Amino acid sequence: MKYAAGVDVGSTQTKAIIVDERGAIVARALSDTGAYLVRAAERAFASALEQAGLRRDQVGQIIGTGYGRFKVEFGDAQVTEISCHAKGAWTLIPATRTVIDIGGQDTKAIKVSDHGEVLDFAMNDKCAAGSGRFLTNSAEAVGLDVSEMGARSMTAKQPVRLSTVCTIFVETDILTYLAQGKKVDDILAGVHGAIGARTVALVRRVGAESEVTFTGGVAKNIGIVKAVEEKLGMSVNVSPDSHYTGALGAAIFAMERVLAGPAVTSQEVLA
Amino acid sequence: MTLTQEFPATRYRDVVEDREFPTVREWRARTGRSAVGCYPVYAPFELGHAAGMLPVGLFGGGNRIEIANADSRFQSFICSVVKSTMELGFQHKLDVFDALMFESICDPARNLASVMARNFKEQAMTYVHLPQNMTSAGVVDYLVAEYRRVAAELSATSGQDVTEDGLRASLTEYNAMRAAVRELYAFRALRPQDLSTGELYTLARLATLMAPDEVTPILREALAAARARDGRAKDRIKVVVIGSFCEQPPLELIESIEESGCYIVDDDFLLGWRLFRRDVPVDGDPYRALATAYLNDSLHASTKHDLRVPRATAIIDSVQRVGADAAICLIAKFCEPGLFDYALYRKAFDEHKVPHLYLEFEEKMWLYEKIRTEVETFVESMLFA
Amino acid sequence: MTAVKEIQYQGEMHLLQKELMAKYYAEATAIAGGNGKKCAHLLIAGNPVELLRAFDVLPIYPEVNVLQIAVRHGSLPLIQKAEELGYAGDNCAYVKADIGLFHSGYSTPFAQIPKPDVLVCNYVGCNVYLNWFEHLAEMVDAPAMNIDIPFIRSADGEPSAADLTYVVKQLEELIVLLEKVTGKSLDWAKLTKIVERSARTGELWAQIKDMTKARPAPYDAYFDSVTMMAPLYCLRGTEDGLRFFEVAHREMKAQMEKAKGPLPEERFRIVIEGPPPWPKLRVFRDMFSRWGAVAVASTYSTVGGLWEFGFRHDPAHPLESIARHMLSANVCNRNFLQRYEQMERYVKEWEADAIVIHSVKSCRLFSAGQGDMREHFVRDLDVPTLLIESDIEDPRYFSEAQLRNRIDAFFEALEQRRVTAGKTLQGVASGSATGVVGVGS
Repeated sequence: MKYAAGVDVGSTQTKAIIVDERGAIVARALSDTGAYLVRAAERAFASALEQAGLRRDQVGQIIGTGYGRFKVEFGDAQVTEISCHAKGAWTLIPATRTVIDIGGQDTKAIKVSDHGEVLDFAMNDKCAAGSGRFLTNSAEAVGLDVSEMGARSMTAKQPVRLSTVCTIFVETDILTYLAQGKKVDDILAGVHGAIGARTVALVRRVGAESEVTFTGGVAKNIGIVKAVEEKLGMSVNVSPDSHYTGALGAAIFAMERVLAGPAVTSQEVLA
Repeated sequence: MTLTQEFPATRYRDVVEDREFPTVREWRARTGRSAVGCYPVYAPFELGHAAGMLPVGLFGGGNRIEIANADSRFQSFICSVVKSTMELGFQHKLDVFDALMFESICDPARNLASVMARNFKEQAMTYVHLPQNMTSAGVVDYLVAEYRRVAAELSATSGQDVTEDGLRASLTEYNAMRAAVRELYAFRALRPQDLSTGELYTLARLATLMAPDEVTPILREALAAARARDGRAKDRIKVVVIGSFCEQPPLELIESIEESGCYIVDDDFLLGWRLFRRDVPVDGDPYRALATAYLNDSLHASTKHDLRVPRATAIIDSVQRVGADAAICLIAKFCEPGLFDYALYRKAFDEHKVPHLYLEFEEKMWLYEKIRTEVETFVESMLFA
Repeated sequence: MTAVKEIQYQGEMHLLQKELMAKYYAEATAIAGGNGKKCAHLLIAGNPVELLRAFDVLPIYPEVNVLQIAVRHGSLPLIQKAEELGYAGDNCAYVKADIGLFHSGYSTPFAQIPKPDVLVCNYVGCNVYLNWFEHLAEMVDAPAMNIDIPFIRSADGEPSAADLTYVVKQLEELIVLLEKVTGKSLDWAKLTKIVERSARTGELWAQIKDMTKARPAPYDAYFDSVTMMAPLYCLRGTEDGLRFFEVAHREMKAQMEKAKGPLPEERFRIVIEGPPPWPKLRVFRDMFSRWGAVAVASTYSTVGGLWEFGFRHDPAHPLESIARHMLSANVCNRNFLQRYEQMERYVKEWEADAIVIHSVKSCRLFSAGQGDMREHFVRDLDVPTLLIESDIEDPRYFSEAQLRNRIDAFFEALEQRRVTAGKTLQGVASGSATGVVGVGS
């Protein structure tokens, strides 16, 4: 049996996935990235190996992805998380043709082929509004934990309107609404609606084609998922492994290299 | 005029912000003619009127529409009015227009004209290059030729040729409308307690949404009603507001500034629609008269670069003329011309010892606490100085 | 992991450019030192440099000065100085750097910039130009003139007769102004000679541009074009200027005949739209070089003049041809949709694989609406198009990690498409070799 691995070093968390030659997941590991990316990558990979009961030399190829992809020093190659999310989402849900990923820093919309290849992609510009950071800041402003926000937002009766441009101005707006006595649920609904609107605006740049799959950590926030579905007018898939999509995609790419044999693995781009 | 009669401005408060353009739809249904949407700051709408059309001011989507499509076309560092205008197109709110007019005011607006022409083919697009070399011996001839060209383009859409007599008639009607607005402005400068800027703004904005001969009587009615008032002057400072000549602040923002302790006694809101200081002469060549009025007899505009006059002269003159206590620079976020001018205004304010406040706004605002606090603090610093 | 091989981008042309620009800046410094000669500050887009040269007035381009400063990593303090004086974060950073430079006594590491004896604001497309020179006019004690170039707004993409008349009239007025400033009258024979050199320069430049149709392209039409652009503005019409283009032409032709390009292997041919990030030019170039991507055409290289589609200055009609150059033979005064057409021609005739749009915060002339541009190329024409952002002058807007991520993702995807297309042709089942190219660092 052949094995391959993908390690996704994100801004807050590092994920590792090991797959077998059928593309099935045999191990998943998750740890905080912290300040030392190289160690975070090693830790996550070691944890995954332990879970799978494998030795390092049993894993044929390892691909690093995420912002810290060049810090996966034990890796054989690096692939951007855009390509990995496309491949990962398609692996989890083969009918996927559009991927939405809201990460800590970035939001991405990816148009995917029927083979999981990237046809087109769009990423948010400089503004952080619409990314995970926006959610974390909003959570702080209302005094909640990020994990509670999604469910709370769905109980709103009168969502407030929020500026969708700047994450800094939004915090001021939230504080103003709190001072005006608006309910936290209504404010959260406003926050989720604003993120949903920004996200859908991004998706429109690549065109929303069914089926749409939501990847990344923020996919666990039911409020965001609902807001996106509402503004898009389409239902959205969320896999239980949404958090691991990037690492899975990297692992699949790694397995393709293993199966292709030595000719491909020695190929290198002009350095 | 009885006290129970509603002040004209109150009647039209919702109408002026309604992006379904009810006054335009009503006029079109009644007359069977076409309308031309005019992007800020000044487009020679008199020519559209002479071609039998209703010229209408386009001021983006205000705080009434959500931008769902246009921000994939224009970046986040572009002012909101560019995006909301395009969004109006995506939401089919511009279907009421047969033509759109743009002019050379800034780079984003110029590119917007092209992008909208590509995406919305149902509206004929006219782009006017207003001159920026006021001292050239060739500039009047150039602008006359440009106005003739624009008139021909608009005529092609409306199906009605512009004749010289027709243009003179249009100039006469707009002269009357502008005279009425000027009188309201003059009245407010003298008796701001009897005509608030919120009310004046509503009336001036209404004039951008109706035919001149239909709106002028309403403006005159409002002036008479204001004259009949006998308000007590409140303890407020008198300010001149400059910088909102294109993207417009929400009415509630203007009211918030006043409520925070100011009488706004002069401003450049809706500048292009009241651009001329005096009546445009209707004897002789009307194209030449209109061109000359633009070049030599128009109000100061950020988008008009006249090297004959230092940039800040107009604002300093205005402050002195109306006896204002201070100036407020109310500039739209990302507004290039406004932001450049501010650097020169600031210098002039310091030289002439004019207290001033810089405020940033965007049309898409619903919360005014921050601005209120800033203005209140500023007012307090002046009153208790 | 393999080490990155250092890529040398310097050839004979690059070295000659350095020499000539040093000479040019030495002239400028001499004027600042008070040698009695005159200079004019003017702008790059559609510049009427021929008229200045006819009066022996040295053309000084604030845009060139501040970009040179940015390349040398000196722009930020100047920008911050301007911001202290009331300029906004959102104002064009070129202007801020120039204002900051003025307030720092106009001294740069490579020259002492002379104060202008005349301010010539050639308003060609860019509205910020008007603000810029309006501010300068209030700061320096020199006569100023706006040369108003009507925007291309006709269906046929050409200026009208009235436009031409207006511009020629203003050029005549510029002559009167220059006569006053210099105390000389215009030598028409000299002007004719200068315009003739511009015509020959344009011809050489157009041929040089055509050379990148070859495979491989002999030079990078974005990163190497910017080397050629400085002499195109600062030295056009002079003997040195003409000599430079003759040398560049010869060198590039030789490269083309040897089938040599700037990189060991040309793997992707791209069209780049938008000005470069001057403070990070080398870093930016490397992000494309690592993928074997070479620009075969660029819109930025046509800001000062668009010669590849046939325009030439005409010594028999000097003022009229200078007017035409300013009106329609440059990318800035042409409308946004004409830029789409220009890029379409590049993609087709230069056989490009993809477009890269570099959106810059400062320059709204270039950037406002590039989302629509991308939409057109991707949706309507099926040309892979990448949109990335930073700034021309302000280093704070350059996020290396973000840019690298987007550029890598884009070329990864292009690579994949090629491999898939190749396999489909050969009928090879997918699921095996994907040809994923790993990049060692």
